[in-house]
Amino acid sequence: MADQNPAAGPEPASRLPLSLLLAFGWLVPGLGHLLLRRRLRAAVFFTVIMVAFVVGILLQGELILPRAGDPLSYVAAIAIIGNGVPFFAARYLGLGHGVVTAASYEFGNTFLLTAGMMNLLLLLDIFEIYRGHKEW
Amino acid sequence: MPDHLTLMTLHALLIAVYFAFLWKHGRRERWLYFWKVFGALMVGAVALGWLMYFFPRP
Repeated sequence: MADQNPAAGPEPASRLPLSLLLAFGWLVPGLGHLLLRRRLRAAVFFTVIMVAFVVGILLQGELILPRAGDPLSYVAAIAIIGNGVPFFAARYLGLGHGVVTAASYEFGNTFLLTAGMMNLLLLLDIFEIYRGHKEW
Repeated sequence: MPDHLTLMTLHALLIAVYFAFLWKHGRRERWLYFWKVFGALMVGAVALGWLMYFFPRP
């Protein structure tokens, strides 16, 4: 039996497949941790990322998408899309066009990019918890 | 728009909370790490700001 095989490694922390956990974790900040029964950390991560995202939008930041001839925009787009559902919701609501002339524009971008990168980094944490490399 | 220092403080606060919960376990360890990261970001940013006085605008 697989569960008696010592070579099989520790039991996964969730019955959901890893791919689904990663997808949920990307779409909704903290949801991956919630499904792995890390409730406190899920709440903290959700709050931190959502606050950063909303502040970024309020500061006239831009939801950067890839632009031809601008290689850095591709990197920025990965971070921005890393926000998951908040990114799609903001796009749907017509937010995040960015006002380049606004004094807060760069600050807004910083918050939006940071929020996306924090959410993407959580995926690695989900992976580690799922694999049993991290017990808490 | 809030001033730069307020925004920088909020950003440092969010980052410090995030990494304290990502990398540390236990209340005491998290608090210690939070203050380390928060302090490093704030002091580092102010120090870099002062250093920029040596580089005049073109």
